[in-house]
Amino acid sequence: MTEPLKSQELQDRFSLIENMIAEGRRTTESWGWTFVFWGVAYLVAMAWSSWGPKAFLAWPVTMIAATLLMCAMIAAQRRRKTEKQPDTTLGRAIFSVWVATGMAMWLLLLFLSMSGRFDWHVFIAVVSALLGLANAASSLILKWNIQFGCAVFWWAAMAAACFGSDRIAVAALVVTIFVCQIVFGVYCMVLEAREREATHA
Amino acid sequence: MSVKLPMPDLPELNPVVHGKLRLALLSLLVGVEEAEFTWLRAKTGSTDGNLGAQLLKLEEAGYVTVEKKFVNRKPQTIYRITEAGRHSLAEYVRAIKQLLGSAMDA
Repeated sequence: MTEPLKSQELQDRFSLIENMIAEGRRTTESWGWTFVFWGVAYLVAMAWSSWGPKAFLAWPVTMIAATLLMCAMIAAQRRRKTEKQPDTTLGRAIFSVWVATGMAMWLLLLFLSMSGRFDWHVFIAVVSALLGLANAASSLILKWNIQFGCAVFWWAAMAAACFGSDRIAVAALVVTIFVCQIVFGVYCMVLEAREREATHA
Repeated sequence: MSVKLPMPDLPELNPVVHGKLRLALLSLLVGVEEAEFTWLRAKTGSTDGNLGAQLLKLEEAGYVTVEKKFVNRKPQTIYRITEAGRHSLAEYVRAIKQLLGSAMDA
């Protein structure tokens, strides 16, 4: 059956395979908002712990509320969808990196609070290292240099927390949250909106 | 004096994989863990009847597995590519590359 096949037909089949594999991996899921959401949650927790009443409650309460709210928003987002997007190995790999990072941060915050050994320098350094790791792993999986830039930003905040004064450590964290969560999140949302437009066009 | 070079053995293309819609379905399924019938229909732009028939052929060949279940009282038909399906698609791609290479040489 191979004899009558023309080169053009073979090329068409080859293109069909490439297009369909790319189509299968194309995702319409939106995750950019989660960067913005967590960025705002961190800033709220920091502001509350600095200026609000009962500062010791700021991080646990904000983080628990943010986690519950995010779960509810993701559930609502999935319910609204009429057509379920299939899971890909790539998607699961990235999801695993972020879930593991989130769990590690949760446990760290919980144990530091419970033990009474909470120290701003250590906290900022470890959280920045973990978020740098998650961004770096995600960027290496996706081959996305911009996200690797975020990882470098987080690691710079980690260095500032290790070597800088209190003021420098907090300032580095605030700037990094703004750049790597809010600005990067908005950028992701813009890219996702463009992707959706291209898909529906 | 001319030397006759032996023709390299050209591979046969697997007829089950070669069908255009079946090839599209296997290529879609190879990139995802599982997919619903409705998602496959949307991606291929095929009709229910044709899609069902081609998926049945793939299932009979052992290239996909099917699972029917109810989610929120709605029926769902989930398809997954099997190891045999993955292997056949990889073999098919290898064969096409070889055929394209020989076509270019000619």
